[in-house]
Amino acid sequence: MQPILRACDISKSFGAVHALDKARLTVERGEIHALLGANGCGKSTLCKIIAGTVGLDAGEVLIDGQLAALGSPHLAEEQGVALFYQELSLVPQLSLGENIFLGREPRDRLGFTDRAAIQRQTEALIDRVAAVAGKGFTPDARVFDLSPDQRQLAEILKVLARKPKIIIFDEATATLDRRQVEVFFDILRVLKAEGVSSIFISHRMDEVFAIADRITVMRNGETVAEFAAAETDRYAVVYAMVGETGAIAASVRDHKPLEGDARLAVKDVRAARLGPVSFTAQRGEILGLGGLQGQGQKALLAGLFGAEPFQGGSVSLDGVDVTARRPADAMARRIAYVSGDRGRDSALPGRSILENTAIASLVRERRHVVPGAVFRERFTEVLAGLNTRYAGLDAPIGSLSGGNQQKVFISRWLSPAPGLLLLDDPTKGIDLGAKGDFYLLARKLADEGATVIIYSSEDSELLSLCDRVLVLNGGAITADLVGDRLTPFELTRASYGDAA
Amino acid sequence: MSRFVDLAKNPLLISSVAILALLILGELVSPGFARGDQIVRLLTVSAILGIAAAGQNLVILGGREGIDLSIGAVISLGAVIAGNVMNGSDAAIPLAFAAACFAGFMIGTVNGLGVTYLRIPPLVMTLGMMGVIQGGLVVLSRGVPSGNAAPALMAFVNRSAFLGIPGILFVWAAIVVLMALMLKRTRFGWSIYAIGSNENAAILTGLPARRIRVLLYGLAGLFGGFTGVCVIGYTGNSFISVGDQYVLPSVIAVVIGGTSLAGGAGSYTGTALGAIALILLQSVLTTLNLEFWGRQVIFGGTLLLLMLLYGRQARLRV
Repeated sequence: MQPILRACDISKSFGAVHALDKARLTVERGEIHALLGANGCGKSTLCKIIAGTVGLDAGEVLIDGQLAALGSPHLAEEQGVALFYQELSLVPQLSLGENIFLGREPRDRLGFTDRAAIQRQTEALIDRVAAVAGKGFTPDARVFDLSPDQRQLAEILKVLARKPKIIIFDEATATLDRRQVEVFFDILRVLKAEGVSSIFISHRMDEVFAIADRITVMRNGETVAEFAAAETDRYAVVYAMVGETGAIAASVRDHKPLEGDARLAVKDVRAARLGPVSFTAQRGEILGLGGLQGQGQKALLAGLFGAEPFQGGSVSLDGVDVTARRPADAMARRIAYVSGDRGRDSALPGRSILENTAIASLVRERRHVVPGAVFRERFTEVLAGLNTRYAGLDAPIGSLSGGNQQKVFISRWLSPAPGLLLLDDPTKGIDLGAKGDFYLLARKLADEGATVIIYSSEDSELLSLCDRVLVLNGGAITADLVGDRLTPFELTRASYGDAA
Repeated sequence: MSRFVDLAKNPLLISSVAILALLILGELVSPGFARGDQIVRLLTVSAILGIAAAGQNLVILGGREGIDLSIGAVISLGAVIAGNVMNGSDAAIPLAFAAACFAGFMIGTVNGLGVTYLRIPPLVMTLGMMGVIQGGLVVLSRGVPSGNAAPALMAFVNRSAFLGIPGILFVWAAIVVLMALMLKRTRFGWSIYAIGSNENAAILTGLPARRIRVLLYGLAGLFGGFTGVCVIGYTGNSFISVGDQYVLPSVIAVVIGGTSLAGGAGSYTGTALGAIALILLQSVLTTLNLEFWGRQVIFGGTLLLLMLLYGRQARLRV
């Protein structure tokens, strides 16, 4: 029999970045197929192409043996591909039936919504998942009154109402607790029994081996391996994700022994979908936060800076409590924060380079009057030290390239040098030259005694820059990698929640 | 070439050119329009609008759709308070200013608290506040004009203090200089631009964005109260809707002066020129002896033309 989906030699570039290079994926009818890979391997892009939300540059997708035209989500849906959204998209005030058919209501002959048909079709859908539906899960029930599990189920019914042949679940279990995951798996099994195929992306290796029939592994935009889940093991899968060189430890530089007591102590900090998490860091250490995207790394950095204060726990630096309620608290303790989302978190568009860099100094030094000449001299020097290319301090920030903008934003925190520097994916979208300058700066600050904590969505960046990497999975630290253990293999393995 | 385009898009330049053009046009239509004493009279009227627009300018610069529609009602309130406090007595003038400014500041602060902490859209919050003040004024004054300006206050607004120029123009000039220094040279000024430009980024540099925004609305109220005292000095006595005519012009002066309605960019110097240009335009249209509808069409058309000249000012993407 034909596979239900066959994607052949799919290529896709975003600008100069090759996200996919002749990637392949074959999904059989009625199977649960896991798609795995490290950050940036292209698995999300491949799913988006199959679901029609992103176009492809080359290659073809066959559904049920037919060449599929996937120009838009709507077209993909017509051909039987549905994407399951992890964000809740239900309208609480409407009934279950109304939600499921929202925007696609069956019509009667006069063009009015056919309520009887909604009732009938919703009941049919509920019958299919009756085993896990629980009490009160009826077509008339307000979504408002449903339990969280039932809302999750309602989302799935919304997808099922489109009669898909293949459903893509991208990180569908990310927000679920252990028991909810079991319910979700029961639903997947029901679908499987009906002959509906699922493509399953998860950040937990346990889940993959608990539910998947087959596994496809991607690396650097290519499909590198395909396994039958029953005939392989975790080691082989992780090995495929990182490749042959994956077992080689990253530390090629002179690894400086870190002596003395920990100067940063983070104890039991908690936030939404994070922790409790505890760790320590040394003076002069570059500590990486690794793992797949969205595992709590950003929440940890935002909490340390006080941008989104922790809901519990404590942070101390050099023996002083520095648990921040707001950024100004952290700044007073020489804690600095640089985000990779420059447009959202850093840029003051329309304002000058001088304002964009000196604003934090005004706050930190409690100055009420702007010392124009002092600032000009100081920041001319700081920006020169970072090899920043700019026309003049009065030019608008938007006249700079992304990399040079990021240098301006980090220059906010360099005089005086920070004691703790928090970097949230800081090199995202900047050119290679600027990245290099950035790494040199982080290293220099650390050598001068700062503690640097960096989250990066690129594993290679963590491996080449950090002395030590904490790997997060589902808001918890799953590994503390240092020295010989700081390898792509261990990093990827821990990213999938698989502790050594 | 691009330098020329930049210059042509400079709001300060456009406003200045508009002011000159309107003066010439006025003089051509009605000789004597641009005489010295006439210009002083026009500037006096501009000063009152300009001071009201200072408050408007601050809340608009602060972003988040900042606007103060209650400014007219606050001006009326300030005028009524000042009239009753003075009741013709020169000695009570300082107290009149203090009382009107304090009342305006408190009302503005309530606006600010509603906008920042209750997240009420500024348009709705200040419109609601306008209604509350207007209603309150009717109750307080029972609808009858009460109180009147002290002679020294009227002289301050209407008579020469030095070289034929009334005191209010010196005060306005001082406000222009102080606002420019404040916006360009103080942390508070930089903070206003920062929260107007990107509030999230401003917070991440340690700025207390919400407190700053509350203060901006408070200052807008304070300027409104101050304007109210000037208004009663101009007219002699107060009635409870005396400030209404300033609501839209105060916004328009800010926009003509080149302040972005999105916040984060602009200057009070521009707003002051905008106020002068706006008052000149109104006088020229009055001088032209047009029917009411004709004046409205030209007035509206001129505004649209100015906006077109500013073009879609390159809001530089980052």
